[in-house]
Parts: sequence; C-alpha cells; structure tokens
Amino acid sequence: MKKILLSTILCLSVAFSFAQIDRSKQPEPGPAPEINLQEAKKFTLNNGLTVMVVENHKLPRVSIQLNLDNPPIFEGQKAGVQSLTGSLMGKGSTNIPKDEFNEEVDFLGATLSIGAQSAYASCLSKYFPRILELMADAALNPNFTEEEFEKERDILLTAIKTEESDVSAIASRVQDVLAYGKNHPRGEYLTEETINTVRLIDVEQFYRDYFVPANAYLIVIGDVDFETTKALVTTAFTPWTKATPPSLDYSNPAQAQYTQINFVDMPNAVQSEISVQNLVDLKMKNDDYLDALLANRILGGGAQARLFLNLREDKGYTYGSYSGIGNNKWGPSTFRATASVRNAVTDSSVVEILKEVDKIIDTPVTQEELDQAKAKYVGNFVMALERPQTIANYAYNIETEGLSDDFYKTYLERINAITIEDVQQAAKKYFSANNSRVVVVGKGSDVIENLEKVEFNGKKVPVLYYDKTGDKTEKPNYDAAIPEGISAEDILNNYIEAIGGKDKLEAVQSYALTAEASMQGQTLELVMKKSENEKFLQDVRMMGNSVQKQVIDGDKGYTMQMGQRKDLTKEELDMMKEEATTFPELNYLLAGDVAIEGVETIGDKKAYKLKISDSKTAFYDVESGLKIQEVTVQEAQGQTMQATVKFEEYKEVSGIKFPFKLLQSAGPMNFEFTVKDIKVNEGVSDADFE
Amino acid sequence: MKKPLAFFSLLISAITFSTAQEVKFEEYDLDNGMHVILHQDNGAPVVTTSVMYHVGGKDEDPSKTGFAHFFEHLLFEGTKNIERGEWFKIVSSNGGNNNANTTMDRTYYYETFPSNNLKLGLWLESERLMHPIINQIGVDTQKEVVQEEKRLRVDNSPYGRVFEQVSKNLFKNHPYRWQTIGSLDHLASATLEDFQRFNEIYYVPNNAVLVVAGDIDITETKKMIQDYFGPIPKGAPIERKTYSEEPIKETMNATFNDPNIQIPLILLAYRTPAQTERDAYVLDMISTYLSDGPSSKLYKKMVDDKKMALQVLAFNVAQEDYSTYIVGALPVGENSLANLKTEIDEEIEKIKTDLISEKDHQKLINKFENDFVNSNSSVEGIANSLARYYMLYDDVNLINNQIDIYRSITREEIKEVATKYLNTNQRLELEYLPESKNAQ
Repeated sequence: MKKILLSTILCLSVAFSFAQIDRSKQPEPGPAPEINLQEAKKFTLNNGLTVMVVENHKLPRVSIQLNLDNPPIFEGQKAGVQSLTGSLMGKGSTNIPKDEFNEEVDFLGATLSIGAQSAYASCLSKYFPRILELMADAALNPNFTEEEFEKERDILLTAIKTEESDVSAIASRVQDVLAYGKNHPRGEYLTEETINTVRLIDVEQFYRDYFVPANAYLIVIGDVDFETTKALVTTAFTPWTKATPPSLDYSNPAQAQYTQINFVDMPNAVQSEISVQNLVDLKMKNDDYLDALLANRILGGGAQARLFLNLREDKGYTYGSYSGIGNNKWGPSTFRATASVRNAVTDSSVVEILKEVDKIIDTPVTQEELDQAKAKYVGNFVMALERPQTIANYAYNIETEGLSDDFYKTYLERINAITIEDVQQAAKKYFSANNSRVVVVGKGSDVIENLEKVEFNGKKVPVLYYDKTGDKTEKPNYDAAIPEGISAEDILNNYIEAIGGKDKLEAVQSYALTAEASMQGQTLELVMKKSENEKFLQDVRMMGNSVQKQVIDGDKGYTMQMGQRKDLTKEELDMMKEEATTFPELNYLLAGDVAIEGVETIGDKKAYKLKISDSKTAFYDVESGLKIQEVTVQEAQGQTMQATVKFEEYKEVSGIKFPFKLLQSAGPMNFEFTVKDIKVNEGVSDADFE
Repeated sequence: MKKPLAFFSLLISAITFSTAQEVKFEEYDLDNGMHVILHQDNGAPVVTTSVMYHVGGKDEDPSKTGFAHFFEHLLFEGTKNIERGEWFKIVSSNGGNNNANTTMDRTYYYETFPSNNLKLGLWLESERLMHPIINQIGVDTQKEVVQEEKRLRVDNSPYGRVFEQVSKNLFKNHPYRWQTIGSLDHLASATLEDFQRFNEIYYVPNNAVLVVAGDIDITETKKMIQDYFGPIPKGAPIERKTYSEEPIKETMNATFNDPNIQIPLILLAYRTPAQTERDAYVLDMISTYLSDGPSSKLYKKMVDDKKMALQVLAFNVAQEDYSTYIVGALPVGENSLANLKTEIDEEIEKIKTDLISEKDHQKLINKFENDFVNSNSSVEGIANSLARYYMLYDDVNLINNQIDIYRSITREEIKEVATKYLNTNQRLELEYLPESKNAQ
C-alpha cells in the first residue's frame, strides 16, 4: 500500500516537472533561510582600547579597523587641523622613515592608512602580524615634520580650490552650513584662510588631545585566530598611553522658522542641486529608530520609493531623487530629500519634493508600501551576512550606540512588528514640510525667475539668496554681469555683420529715410539723410512745416527750432560729428574708445550695453547682434534729460538691414515712427545739407 | 642546474596556490544557445542571478550611438507579465537588490536576493529576454532619464569628459571613438522601430550568458533554468563588424576646456592591444608600477619628493578590441603641464632602458595576489567575473588562474612591452584645462 502511494507521488511529481510553468505569476519565495548571527569576541586593554575579533576563514585575508569614537570636534579658526593631522599620519613613524614604511606596506601588497581619528589596514593573512605592527607603530609614534606639513598644506589648499567650481561640492558645503551653522562641527568648512592659520604645533596638539585610547575600538576581521590575535594586539597597543579627549561645547543649531528656498548661484551649473532638509534628533537607541528608517525608505530610500517614482519615472526630471535620514548620538543630524535636476525643471522639482514630504506626514502609507519597505530591510539584513564586516559593525554599534545586546537578534522581529501608524508618527516627528530649508544650487539666470514663483500649500515660498559659503547675499543681478570673452569691438563687428557686413556699409555713400508718427491726431513726418564726409540732416515736420531741424555739413552745422536758427558751437559739432556719418558704428570701431558696460534686458531680449560717449549708450541684441536701443543724456538748463530710441522691425534695403520702427521717448513724450521709405545712394544731394 | 630551479618554482607555486580560494563552477548550454554558468557557495543565504549580453556601445550604428546603454534603462520598463513600473518594486519587496551596467563591449543585468528567491530572479531575467515591452511611453521616459544621467555624470562632473576626449582622439574608425552614453541627439531622433530592431538583433539567448551564484542546489537550479529560459526561441546569429585602426605614428596634441574644474590635467594616452593579449596584462603591471600606492614611481617622485603634482594617475582601460593606456598628473600651484610631462616621460624612459628591480617585481606580484584574493569576496562579484571571463575572454578558468599570468610576467617582458607601446610618437598628449585659462 505504502509502496503504491509512494510511486503515485513519484509519478505525480514527474508529471509536474514536465508541466509548463505559469509565467504569468510571479514565483513565490521559498521558506525563509536560516539566519546565523555569529558573535564577535572581545577584550579590553588596560589603557581603555576595546578589541573585537571576528574570525572568518573563507578567504586568506584580514582587515584591521581602528575607530576613535570621540565627540565631534569644532576646529573654528583652525579649520583644517583635523584634516592635516590625518594627512600627516601614516607617513612612517619615529622608528621607521616614511619611504621605508611605504615601501614595506606596498611590497606586502597591503593597504594601510591612518586618519586623524581612525586607522585601517587590509592584507593577506600571512602578512597580518607585520601589518598590525606597522599600523600600531605609525598610529602611536607619528612622525610629524615641518616638511611634510607644508607639503600636505599645499595639497589641501589646491584641493579646496578645485571645489570652487564643483557644483555638488558647493551644494553639500552650503547644505551643511545652513543646517548646522558655521559655529558647529558639522557646519564648519575649510577655507584658504583657516588652513593657512594652522601650524605644525597645532597638528601635534590635536594628535595629543584626540588620538587617545579612552573611546578607541580595534576591530580585526578575517582569517585569524582569536588567541594569537589577542597576544599580537596586546603587544602592539599596550604602549598607547591612557587618556581621555577634551570635551567641547558648541552652539545648538536651530530649525528653519518657515519653509524657504535658499538659493546659491553657480553660473557654470548645467543642473540644479536640490536638498529639501530639516534637522532631526535621531539616535539608534530611540524606540522609533526603525520606524523612521522605514518612513524614509518609503519616501526616498531607493528606486521604488515615492521620490524616485515621481521625479524620475513619472516626470523624467532627474536621474534619481532620494531621501536620507541621519542619526547621531551626540546631537542633531539631518533629514534630506535631494535631486540633481535639469535647470528648466528646478522649480517644479522643488514643488514635487515638498509635496511628497508633506504627503507622507499627512497621509498614512499603504500596507503595500510598508510591506515592501520591510521586505527590503529584511533582505538587506539577510544579505549583509555574507560580509564578515557585518558582524563587526553590529558588535561595534551595540557598544558605541548604547543598544541592547539583542538589538540585532531581534531586528527582523521588530521590523516586522512596525505598523502604518508607527510610520506616520515617525514621519511627523522627523520630517518637516513647514520648517524646511530648500537649498538649491544652480544657474541663477536660468532658474531664479521660476523659483521665485514657487508656491506650496497655497503660499508663496520665499527665496533667500546665499553665496557659496552660505552667507546671505543679494539676489544676483544679471543686468550688471559682463560676460567674459567678448569685447566692445566684437559687439560692434557683430552688429556690422548683422546688418550687411563692412563691405556693403562702406559702399554706401548716402541714404535717405522718411518716416511717420502720429501725435495727438496729427501726423509727424521725419526725414533723415546721411551722406559721406560728415553730412547729416534730420527734419521733423508737422503738416508740412519744419518743427525741428538739424543739419551738419563737415565743419559747420545748425539747428532750427520753430523757425529759429542757431549755429552749432565747435563743441556741439564735435559731439554730433560722430553721428553725422552713414553708419556711426564704423567710426566707433576706428575710434576704439567704446566700452562694454554689461548685459541688460531690453523688452524680452538680452542686450550688450556699450558706452559710446559720456552722453550716449547703445544696446545690441546678444542673439541677433542688431542695435535695439540708444539712450542719450542731455544737460539743458541744469536739468538732465534722457532720450531713448528703440529700433525694431529690421528689413533689408539694397542688401542692408534698417530698422523700420523707431520708438522715441524723451521725458513724457513718446513717438512711434514707422519708416515709409529708405533710399540708398540716391535721393540725397549736397544741397540738402546747406 | 635546471632541476633545482624547477623544483624551487614548483614549491613556490604550491605555496602560493594554497593562498587562493578556488571558485568552483559548472557550465553548459541550453538548446537555444544560451550559455549557463553555476557557482555554488552555501556560506551565506544569498544568491545572485545575472545575465550578460554581448552587446555594447561598439555594436552601435555610428548614427545611432547610445542604444546599448539606452537598453539598460529600457529593459526595466516592463514585460508581458511584469507591468510597467513594477520591476523595482518586485525586487525590493522581496528583499533584493538589482542593477545593470553597460560598457562599450557588453551589457550586464543582475539581481541579488536572499536565497529563497532564486526562482524570482530567474523569472525576472527570463521575462526581460522573452517578452520585453518596448513602447513609446517607455522610450520617452527613459530618453529624459538618460539625458539627466549624462548631465550628472558627464556635463556637470569635474573631469567628466576625460574619456570622451581621449577616445575621440585615439580612435578614428573603431566605435570606441564614441562613449557608451552616446549622443543625446541620436537618441532624441531614434524611433520606436529603431529600438525594437536593436532588441531583435541583440537580445537573444545565443548572445547571452546566464550566471547563478551563491546558496543554491545545482540539480534544482538546473531544472528551474530549463523551465524559465528553455522556452525562449533562439535568435539569428549575430554578424559583427570588425574595425581596425592605423597605428599612431606621430604625437597627437589636443586641448579641452572643462568648465567644472579649476586645476588643469595633463594626460598621455596610448592605444594598446585587446585585454585578452598578454601585453595588456603587462601594461596593467606597468600602471601599477608607476602610480599605485605611495611608493610607486610617479607618486613617489612627483607628489612626494618634488611636490609638483597634486595627483598622478596611470591606468589601463581594458577592452575587447583595443585597450587604452592613460598616464597623467594634476599640477600643484604654478607647476606647468609641460614640466609634469617631462617628469612622467623620464620614468617611462627608465622602464624602457633598464629592467625594474627584482624587489619591485616581487612587489608587483604581491599586489596582484592581494587584488586577486579580494576580487572574489562576494557572490555578486563572482557572478560578474564568471560572466565577463566567459564572454569577453572566452576562458572562464581565468577566475582561478588569471593570477598565474601576472605571476609569469618577467622583468624583461615589462621592458619589452614598454618599449613597444609607450613611445612619444604613438600617443595623444591632452591638456585638459579649466574653462577660463588658455594652455599653460
């Protein structure tokens, strides 16, 4: 009976194995794999150094990590001392010269580096005893020399210089400055000035103060044996003198009072770096620590989180948008939702990120989202077991973060117990949409206009401007910015090229123009004639009568106003002569005294501003090169009068482009002249200029 | 005399061999031409499922560059049985990680899961190959994403265009002259049909290798693979064009201005043989000799002693048809690029005229041994190596014995190879400068 049953089952299973699998259904996971949490073995030296050993014999290698779990250090005016101490460590020891030391480490194919408050080495296990010795020697007997100090300082100075045009480096600096303030260890940054303040004795002092064993942990992982390791470490690190680092007070950073955009202008940016951030007080030992991690995971913890799905998958604004929440046992850290987006969608991206932050605070997440986030944490936890470092990290965290001994043993259980409500509570507590600092670093000329229009929850989000060091500054004024690499001469040449080219202009001996404007129902008629040899006529008539006339003929000239004739003085003549030519730009070029004053927006166009003389400026379209405006300032009876002429609707006549619309304004008076006729090399005679 | 020597070297190899962990693997072909490699390691409950396709930037039409990389995005959009936008969700909601990457030679996709989700990994990868959905909405979305990727990684990134500038100068005919990311214009103008055709040609089982590595049972895994990948029809054989480059006989000079940098960079770049050639391995050793570690020749001299360089670099970009060997330096302060070049050349000349010391030679071998041990430390890494050695080197055993090639390279060979390739008249000299300054 039994036998028959068995063979039936066998038959069935054979039949099954030949059946087609159902591809339309996502395969179900098998039974959960068994988790084995290995324990790290520990011992402590008399000087306070705690040692943790994780044996793993899969590969013939060892890593050694030394961590000094000291409180954060504010470096202030000597910002850079920590970094320089780090650079000077590991350059040999007082026992072994640097070159010999490097040579030996390299020869063994090992890596060894020592920082200001850490050390790390890795090597094949056969070289472990020697590498441990070298590490302890270099860490405990550093060889600080003036020569190395100067070299490292130069390198550091050069390195911070490279950051100045690096958009993401500036962004991360300003994000920290604005979050923590400059008087906080996490907000301060290095400058040329602070680095130059540091002396070798400061480095030595820093080392003496902070490179001490009170809060030190040495973690050995890999193909080693505990007892041997204990003996080797004890020998190597017993000489380390017992001491505790000084503790310092520093200002407590404050949350932003209201949600605001903090903008930093970087004209070379092709993308904007956005960080929507607020301060959080999160420690690993908090009961809601895992809740906060899950909330962050659902919001922006990866490629299936809300920010990514919205800003990348749905909108295509960015290559990726993520959020992160920090934890720090010493003080505040930050929550940040970030994206690098193209300039044109900077404002929209800010709004979308704020919306997502607001939504996860306001509305419960779905069960599906929660389950997914949990699965991800469970998976990561399981898969991390492949790395021997994981066991070491766990032991280190339990020790330094004040966690319960079973924190990791109960980890999966606790993850699975988290509810939708827990997640929302954590989001409410740790994320903020009302006290958020939206730090945007980007190309102001492309993004400011729209950024200033950003509204969130029906309210305008104020934009405050900061410089690259996080100091408040004015809104950038693009009107004043003079572009590099273009000269007044280039602009004049571009104009000449744009209207027909030098050859064509020089072939013009004369031209005559008639135009009309209307004034209070009357028609104003303008006649202008220009000819070689500084001949110029401008006659404004109303109903056939001349109301205003200017004539220049070489060295003489006059004006006539309402029938009253007045000869021009030599001074007046000199001033007007330059205009009394067919195309004055040809003369400006020859004179060479025209200066570029900036770029301004005229109507909807950007234009170069050229100073022609003390009383005259002209504006040339950046794109087309055409002249679009002239402004003349005149002193008359102690008063300054400004007259503006705008040139529009360029059309070609005899191969040369002329403006067919002239908009004149002087004080309250505005005239719009429409050109009726232009003649080139005809319709002008010498008699016109008499 | 000969005998004791042989005995001695045998002894050495016996000792050194025992230091390396052997990666055991099994390989076979499915009926549809798909190659399969399995590696079992039950040390931790983790499994990686990956597929490498033999299609990269170099298979592209010169007027449609960027396609291979674009597919790396497009093929996450969804399949007949996986709705659009669900892919990442499925992976993460089952505790996994996934990613993909593209080079000029191949495209690689992988998932790593807790080992109870092996079947899921196989289902995902078989779906990607069997019924990808390539439609307008996916194409449009990913076009935007790729544009952002380029801005992020290339246009906005300091020194982000170094490879573009080097490749464009070193290669005149070979597709290596363009970059994997390709041309945004080409992508913008490409039609849905263009993408569908590319998929039909290259995304076929006979152009792919499947690797499953980690906590598996071999027999069960084979059955699952047959279930999921067996029914996928074989594709037409792929016709590959070959391209060759004329040897470089005169120094090429070029400059490039990068608005994202402040410190200029001098680069000397050589076109060198394919990664499978022994000479490429030798060049790897030369670059380590020159710039890897604080006691390497260039670092020691230029950064440490003379303090004229902020950083020195030397690397061998190993590829299937040709490699590129690049040496360079960033100046400290006012040191000119010309001076840096002189210093670099001096060291290269030394390799060409004198044998490197025996101690330096042993040091190189120690370094490569260390790297070798570390290269196989995760199942994800092992899966990638197995696929790469199969597809691009045609020798999966390299995963265990590539180190022997390095061990066998002699000092004389290093000298010969340097003399053969590292000549002034066979290279590009590229001044990679900040925007505002002219050549120094």
